[in-house]
Amino acid sequence: MLGTHEFRPLALAEAKAKGLPDLGIVTVPHPIGGIAEHLVAGKARAAVDDVLATLTRASRADGGEAATLEGPASRHRAPDDLLDFQGFMMEQGWGDGLPLIPATTERVAAMLAGTRRPPGDLVAVLPPRLGRATVEQIGVNAVLAGALPEHLPVILAAVEAVGQPAFNLQAIQTTTHPCSPLVIVNGPIAGRLGINGAGNALGQGHRANAVIGRALRLVLQNVGGARPGREDRATQGHPGKYSYCVAENEAASPWEPLSVERGFPREISTVTVCASEGPHNINDHGSATAAGILTTVAGTAATVGSNNIYLGGEPLVIMGPEHAATVAGGGWSKAAFKRALWERARVPLSRFDPSNLDRFSVIHPAGFKDRPPESLVPIAREWSDIMVVVAGGAGKHSVLIPTFGATRSVTQRIEE
Amino acid sequence: MLAMEILDPVGSTTAASRALAPRPASLQGAVIGVLDNSKPNARVLLEGVARGLAEKLGAREVKRWRKPGASIGATASVLDEIAAHCGAVLTASAD
Repeated sequence: MLGTHEFRPLALAEAKAKGLPDLGIVTVPHPIGGIAEHLVAGKARAAVDDVLATLTRASRADGGEAATLEGPASRHRAPDDLLDFQGFMMEQGWGDGLPLIPATTERVAAMLAGTRRPPGDLVAVLPPRLGRATVEQIGVNAVLAGALPEHLPVILAAVEAVGQPAFNLQAIQTTTHPCSPLVIVNGPIAGRLGINGAGNALGQGHRANAVIGRALRLVLQNVGGARPGREDRATQGHPGKYSYCVAENEAASPWEPLSVERGFPREISTVTVCASEGPHNINDHGSATAAGILTTVAGTAATVGSNNIYLGGEPLVIMGPEHAATVAGGGWSKAAFKRALWERARVPLSRFDPSNLDRFSVIHPAGFKDRPPESLVPIAREWSDIMVVVAGGAGKHSVLIPTFGATRSVTQRIEE
Repeated sequence: MLAMEILDPVGSTTAASRALAPRPASLQGAVIGVLDNSKPNARVLLEGVARGLAEKLGAREVKRWRKPGASIGATASVLDEIAAHCGAVLTASAD
């Protein structure tokens, strides 16, 4: 297997997770993308002898070592002073930088009382490490994140959702793209747990939002083994990687909630996970009509450097309640708004650099291959791929959240 | 002082150790496969190395396959085809 020096830790971790720790890996100086082909060819020539040595090196003939079976989580001795404990956890690579609550036996037992599921139940197997996210293992990370037992059912549902094949967690955990699963909560549990979907919905100040999103991140980092700068190869990442959880503001929405669009009754609580970039503001203080809001949202969404434009996927628009009311006041259903946005939010091919056009033509031929420069590419493959959720408080703002692209959002019922 | 007992946040994995395929004694007359991971210029790197190997070892030809996308795995049928055709195969990880 070949790669560049920068990505060697990821290649090693993936080989190990696939049970092939001895796989031959040869790396060349970074980068190979975005440089002239003759420079890459030079790196190839320089690597031939290494590759040959690796290919013909004797390998272990054994194998078949059994997977570790579920048992209770193992235990460690840690400093009881909180500052020392924080230092210990960071040294182990088990923290996100912010203070952690020690996951003592007592605290984890209290956490597990928040669900009827047995501690050994396997909720998901999480790449790249192929870590076994049992109820207990998730509970340990929930304690670290500062969650309460009542938050656990939401966290379990979120972990189960990111583990679904359609979500493509392997790629999301290891990509250079700045994305993190946004947890969108629908249904009565949001009000009961105080998960904020009103003013500052994506911001700080609400414990439930903070700890649910953070618990999912710690599970992904610790159980999934996506350690920042090692297997998690994000070029910049984004602040939502600390915690990214929001409730839909169903009370202030003129439309059916996301969960109802996905086939669940209103009284059933769900989480939807969506591999999301950070939120980008859509400011429109002037429009008093649906068409006006549409113009501003479409103008903000139609950009060249987005994953969604060439990979597809489901770009997310979080409409502020006032923008949503203006659109719905024009008689538009949510589906009608999505259709209109898909028609309108398009980028002419003339705005792309030719080298990107070549690449995108292979990935998305219908959008990019052999088409005249004035042709328009929509921000999603289908109008129905665009996600619209209502959240936020008073004010004339909505946000656009582009997504990873090679992923589908997953909605999961919360088992209470 | 290490006075507090805490539970491990990482836990077990499903990874079962597997043996690598036996290393080829010689690639004389063999087909060298390339599985392009669809990242920019990965094809140039992989084919450059494969051609270099082929010249050095007297391999018969370099055959090329491609993953459907950088973040999407190769299908099982492509992997079977590669295994059936090639004496050695090179692929790439990430960028």
